[in-house]
Amino acid sequence: MKFLTTNFLKCSVGACDNSNDNFPLRYEGSKCQIVQDETVEFNPQFLLNILDRVDWNAIVTVARELGNQSLPVTKPQFTHQNGDANTASNLTEDELAVLQDLHVLLLQTSIAEGQMSCRNCNHIYHIKNGIPNLLLPPHLA
Amino acid sequence: MLPTPYVTCDYEKVYEPSEDSFLLLDSLEDEQLFLKDRFKNKLTVVSEFGPGTGIVLTFMMQNHIPTMGNSLYFGLDISPWAVKTTLETAKKNDCDKSYLDCIQTDLGSNLRNNQVDVLVFNPPYVPAEKVPLVPADEKDIHTWLDLALEGGKNGMVVTQRVLDNLGNILSPDGVAYILFCAQNRPEEIVKDMIDNYSWKVELVKQRKAGWEVLSVYRFSRR
Ligand SMILES: C[S@@+](CC[C@H](N)C(=O)[O-])C[C@H]1O[C@@H](n2cnc3c(N)ncnc32)[C@H](O)[C@@H]1O
Ligand SMILES: [Zn+2]
Ligand SMILES: [Zn+2]
Repeated sequence: MKFLTTNFLKCSVGACDNSNDNFPLRYEGSKCQIVQDETVEFNPQFLLNILDRVDWNAIVTVARELGNQSLPVTKPQFTHQNGDANTASNLTEDELAVLQDLHVLLLQTSIAEGQMSCRNCNHIYHIKNGIPNLLLPPHLA
Repeated sequence: MLPTPYVTCDYEKVYEPSEDSFLLLDSLEDEQLFLKDRFKNKLTVVSEFGPGTGIVLTFMMQNHIPTMGNSLYFGLDISPWAVKTTLETAKKNDCDKSYLDCIQTDLGSNLRNNQVDVLVFNPPYVPAEKVPLVPADEKDIHTWLDLALEGGKNGMVVTQRVLDNLGNILSPDGVAYILFCAQNRPEEIVKDMIDNYSWKVELVKQRKAGWEVLSVYRFSRR
């Protein structure tokens, strides 16, 4: 499961929808096996669009849990980020470097094996062979 | 005609692509321009519930539906065999460049609210006494396959759960493509969604397949 996917997964337990703690899930860094796929190509425009969309606090939280302390607490802003199609062509070298780092984290990094839990109900979910299993046992479904 | 994916797997375990799958592919082909225009250069989050072999998601990735290089694809299936097969089908068709993750889960119960821009669902729509219980054992392939077909009363039990939750699944501009068979009584369901829940609903495609009539509808808020 790719790192960016953690930004879309909440606890499957319906009752946890009423809490603010069902997202993001809590990833157990010591129990997660991380792999990098360097063949994923860097596309700055894709990264800008992703950044536009993500919950940045959740990205920072999960990155810390997985051992990456380097992200700024506020979402990086790009001077020319105004939503038009050629935005990426106006980026400075520094900005490109920031996007390149985010590319490595969000798109090249995956959790191959591991576990995560809900901050509200503490239910534990597993990732095996890169596939998260968020099915609940019958008594919780 | 857009190219269709090469699919091969053990159909004792995973739903074999059939008329319903192909109607969905044709519907998405017809909707290409609509989707391009709707999402333009924005990031689009695509989720398929019940991807089975992955034929539909792979078709979308291959043909850059909804947009070129700007989409995240998620395959969410209850069956462990389906999630594995969906990843394999994508690989076999050289879709490694697209962003795809597959998750074993029950419909959208684990998706953060209001994030899906394009939802695709070819549900278990065959009327049956009840929806089978989820087997405890991966090896119970017979039951996993039954889950691909049997939709309980009127074949609508699983689909109705998605319709009831559509407002929490879709993003503000999100659209859902959902397949029905005639026994699901889609006209009544669509009328209910329009009259009582203010959804906008369009028939995208309808086709006779043997003794069945299949249809794909598009649901959106506007
Ligand atoms: C009719 S098959 C469609 C397969 C594929 N999309 C196609 O068009 O060929 C239905 C799929 O939904 C999955 N499914 C059934 N119930 C589900 C649920 N509650 N949550 C997620 N997937 C489910 C089945 O495992 C199966 O893969
Ligand atoms: Zn929970
Ligand atoms: Zn059976």
